[in-house]
Amino acid sequence: MTAMPRVQRIAEGLIRASGRRLPDEERAERCREWSAELPAILYDESVHPDLMRSVRALSYSAGIAVTTRRLSRAARLPRRAPGSAWRDGAISARPGNLGLRATIGLASWLVIIFTTVSLLRAFPHPGGWPVVLGLGLAGAFVVFCLADIVRAPAVRYLPKWAWALICAVQIPGGGIIYLSVGRVGRSPSLPPGSAQSR
Amino acid sequence: MCSLGPVKLTRPLERVLRVLTADPAARHYGYDLMKAAKLPSGTLYPMLARLEQEGLVEAEWEAQRPDAGGRPPRKYYRLTAEGARVARLELAQAAVPDRRVAPGTARPAHGSTQ
Repeated sequence: MTAMPRVQRIAEGLIRASGRRLPDEERAERCREWSAELPAILYDESVHPDLMRSVRALSYSAGIAVTTRRLSRAARLPRRAPGSAWRDGAISARPGNLGLRATIGLASWLVIIFTTVSLLRAFPHPGGWPVVLGLGLAGAFVVFCLADIVRAPAVRYLPKWAWALICAVQIPGGGIIYLSVGRVGRSPSLPPGSAQSR
Repeated sequence: MCSLGPVKLTRPLERVLRVLTADPAARHYGYDLMKAAKLPSGTLYPMLARLEQEGLVEAEWEAQRPDAGGRPPRKYYRLTAEGARVARLELAQAAVPDRRVAPGTARPAHGSTQ
């Protein structure tokens, strides 16, 4: 039971982060609505055990990320004439700053490796659910990266299949390198709607 | 006006409509609907937003109650009169296969509600 407030804070943070995709006038109200649902999920007496409620609350927040993505896409798409190409050079015009991105990628990779090593030291014989959880997280991360590559309108520096291969071969390094270096994120220089067009 | 217009009657939408039409006057908050319709939040909320845009569903904030124990006020959803009518019709048509009106035939433009 003591973990619930912490889970709630994490879930609220996720909802806030997802809400950033929404236009200013909608954001506050939507986030308020979604955060207000969290207590109902976390203290839902019909769901057992407590862990299951936390999982539900977190997957609820993940669904909010999907929601804001869809809402922002629905709001933006009509503005783009159907079939119109996006502006030439929209992607290459984006300030690259490869060094910074590579540093961030390397740093997150080091953090993950360091955490894994210290966890393995602390629990020399991890069995049961920690292993399942770890494998699940690793699998989910790879699937997320692959899905992102497939859905992206374009990727940088390498062809899509090469990024997909890198992500699948080196877990989690490949995915981190892709996300930090190869991914074309949404940016003001991209015309509305293009970041989602397939 | 006898169709959901640009909103296509998909399986998840059908489930939400069934829950909502079970008692058209009842108010539902998001998690309540998620459980009743067995849908994930990423499916439900975009759908509610669309239905609200179409004027088939209305949302209202719960008044802050002193007995709520500090719980933040929730947003409740309910079918509009138009929504209840359209939903019942669509569900009835869905129950009879091959006799469905093609979506979008009865309502010309997106967002032209009432």
